[in-house]
Amino acid sequence: MDGHKVLMNFNVTARSHSLKAYRKRGGYRGLEKALASMQPEEVTQTIVDSGLQGRGGAAFPAGRKWQGIDPHDGQPHYLIANADEGEPGTFKDRWVLEFSPHTLIESMVISCYALAVRHCFVYIRGEYDLPLRRLEEAVEEAYAAGYLGENIQGSGFSCDLFVFRGAGAYVCGEASSLLGSIEGTRAYPRNRPPRMTVKGLYQCPTVVNNVETLSTIAWIINNGAEAFRAIGTPKSPGTRLISISGHIERPGVYEIELGYSWARFLHEDCGGVLHGRALKAVIPGGISSQVLTGKDAKVLTAGEVEGLTLDHEKLKSAGSSLGSGGMIVIAEGTCMVRLLHIMQRFYHHESCGQCTPCREGTGWMHRILDRILAGKGHPEDIERLQFIAEANDGTTICGLGDAAGYAVTAMVANFRDEFEYFIEHGRSKFGGNLECL
Amino acid sequence: MPVIFINGEAVDTGEHKTVLQVALANGFYVPHFCWHPELSVPGNCRVCVVEQDGWVGIACNMPVRDGMKVETDSEMVRAQRKTTLQFILLNHPVDCGICDKAGECTLQDYHYEYNGESARSREPKLTSTKFYPLSERIVLDNERCILCTRCVRFTREISKSNVLGIEYRGDQSIIRPVENRTLDDDPYSDNVIDLCPVGALLSRDFLYQSRVWYLEPTATICPGCSRGCTVQAWHRKPEWQLKTQGARQNEGILRVTPLENPRVNGPWICNKGRDLAALLERPRADQPLMKGTVVAMSVALEAARRLIRDSARRVALVSTWASNEELRAFKGVLGETFTAFVKPDHLPVDGEVVEDELLIRADKNPNTRAAESLFGTAPINLPDDTDLVLVWGEGVDFAMLPRGAKILFLGAWLAPENGHADVFLPLSIQTERRGHYTNFDGVVSAFEPWQHRPEGAIDAETLFPLLAAPAGSDA
Repeated sequence: MDGHKVLMNFNVTARSHSLKAYRKRGGYRGLEKALASMQPEEVTQTIVDSGLQGRGGAAFPAGRKWQGIDPHDGQPHYLIANADEGEPGTFKDRWVLEFSPHTLIESMVISCYALAVRHCFVYIRGEYDLPLRRLEEAVEEAYAAGYLGENIQGSGFSCDLFVFRGAGAYVCGEASSLLGSIEGTRAYPRNRPPRMTVKGLYQCPTVVNNVETLSTIAWIINNGAEAFRAIGTPKSPGTRLISISGHIERPGVYEIELGYSWARFLHEDCGGVLHGRALKAVIPGGISSQVLTGKDAKVLTAGEVEGLTLDHEKLKSAGSSLGSGGMIVIAEGTCMVRLLHIMQRFYHHESCGQCTPCREGTGWMHRILDRILAGKGHPEDIERLQFIAEANDGTTICGLGDAAGYAVTAMVANFRDEFEYFIEHGRSKFGGNLECL
Repeated sequence: MPVIFINGEAVDTGEHKTVLQVALANGFYVPHFCWHPELSVPGNCRVCVVEQDGWVGIACNMPVRDGMKVETDSEMVRAQRKTTLQFILLNHPVDCGICDKAGECTLQDYHYEYNGESARSREPKLTSTKFYPLSERIVLDNERCILCTRCVRFTREISKSNVLGIEYRGDQSIIRPVENRTLDDDPYSDNVIDLCPVGALLSRDFLYQSRVWYLEPTATICPGCSRGCTVQAWHRKPEWQLKTQGARQNEGILRVTPLENPRVNGPWICNKGRDLAALLERPRADQPLMKGTVVAMSVALEAARRLIRDSARRVALVSTWASNEELRAFKGVLGETFTAFVKPDHLPVDGEVVEDELLIRADKNPNTRAAESLFGTAPINLPDDTDLVLVWGEGVDFAMLPRGAKILFLGAWLAPENGHADVFLPLSIQTERRGHYTNFDGVVSAFEPWQHRPEGAIDAETLFPLLAAPAGSDA
């Protein structure tokens, strides 16, 4: 697989995550450069110029978020790396935490310098065990080497990093909800306004960035915004980590340049659909992004001009998004009704219960699908599911309700026949298959 | 001041920060469950939606911007409210027929006003706990709860007892007290019953006592402390008073709610105020007594006048439960006759919250300030040669009075002392006459009558001129 690498630019070995190995491949030079020769505003400007977009799902420009903070306003600021990677199908941040934790630490200290942050946090999900151990080891190494703590590298800048372990709630991956988790209150997403860059953690200006977003920053400072812009597409610069799973020959985490051909990625790099089956559908960016069908994928295999590419604009125009980069491949012969049921069970289980439409709607959709699976579906159920999904679109504080709705609208729009079949016959058109045997 | 346009009408926003506040203050009703003027903004019910530039958002968290245009009743807004009500009612039992809140339930009102459609769900409703005891006073029906979190926010932000919270998540979320605590710890707990927009939080006292449409409120004042909270005492409407029921059920206080008054108590009262019946509906004295013997009012009055005429050094212990009017009447006609001291009728009882930062005051009498402004703050001083003590109201131990002194006692309730007084005259209480109290802060509030004075009892205002008349006359 060719193309530029920003994060996966070294060979993974048993100790490649250690400080020694990291420094050998040029680690912490970005931090030294920033502390020695750059003003905080310059760092922020570099990130703005680089066009770096958030890698957590919403693809919000990271620099614009940072500009919401005035480093000289005298109040405490906080930076939080969101490592609560709960989106089903997504495991890309885990790669960073396991194999290159120092990239994250270096980037966070640079970011703290830019945002005048004294205390920063890594909010890591409770299920991540090895990533947690690797990260904690790296933090200790960084403290010992003077990259964290008081007076970093003699620059006069001090910064402490805390690793905060979540307790396994999906909704804590939502940035404002995560703040509640750290503060020790109930982890409910918060209303905007005020934005978190105005009132965030402990009512102070706070920036929450995804692990991958933050980890890119060291590279950008090292190589400059121009170099970053040269990678990827004009509107989506840089690379993305894609974690691909499902019915695929070689699942795993890959780093691709944005704008990479999807067909090539799927069929060459990842070895194609499992057992040579036809592609039925792809969920491109975690289950909160709309499912794309084999029909779309075929367009890209056949025509190269019209072909879909992996970048934010193209996927948006195709009616989905690159989301969190958690790609799930679904082979022909899979029962989409059962798949949707699993997705809705997840949303029902994880809804925090704050806003009415999501609290009631996710459970409602789950129970309807329960009933359809039990062979007691009713022709009106499809319409009812769509009604609930639409009622959740944009009506809640956070995006969980929307995502649950998207799953239904996309599935029903693309595979309506399967739902109708299940309801009419009381059984799956594809024998209820989820496995690809 | 920024000006915004609500339904095309220019409105001055004044001090208000959000669209909901501006709309409500200017007569544009926007429905809301979770929002409350005294509590923080959670934005969770999603009913207060308004349209702004083709986009529908919640008004409770929509900041006011100069020149913004808002629609509170557009097609989009109505459609979304209707949908949201479908969701709120999804797992609500709709057991209005046996719910105490029916008739004053926001959900009921909004359903008729903004939804009016039958349920679109075919799934069985989720079940949850009924009659969960939150305290000795309150039970919780989790099925009716719409999770607006008003009660949770009240215990955190207003009463600061921090007792309530939410357990579990999603549609399994339920309101629960925190571990090892109950709402008994909260002297303001009953406010959550009023705050609850549905019938989830229920008063045990009022549970199944009456349909609310049989009741009407009368404005009165809680005499429980010198805060003098204005309250509404709810009793049966005259047309719903039934012969089969006793006077107590017909005229008695069935429940008490706060009468919002920003200068005194805001929208809250404490639990003692809820128990107004315990303070006021004690067994009443309704016959004049002389040394324990029942006599006619005219006989008792004449005996009292003789006591006054025949004594030389007279002291009066003035009630702090008397109204401003009664205190002035006493000062006017008997002020020269007696040396008057103000005495507390009630002292804090065991287990009662003596004083706190929100409402409760240490002085457990409603009108101390008015009494002291008329009769001074001097400590009670009874010279040994006192030969007549007029005791007005409760709180005096007769054993502490000078031995030789005759006792003229004016009281409203049955008490052993009544029989020990040389002359006892029964008085009316605040639910039977008009009047005013002055609270510790100097704020004067009015109370209105709705109960009938027991035959044989007399209003103090009527009584004092009769006592002041010369003995032996026919006054």
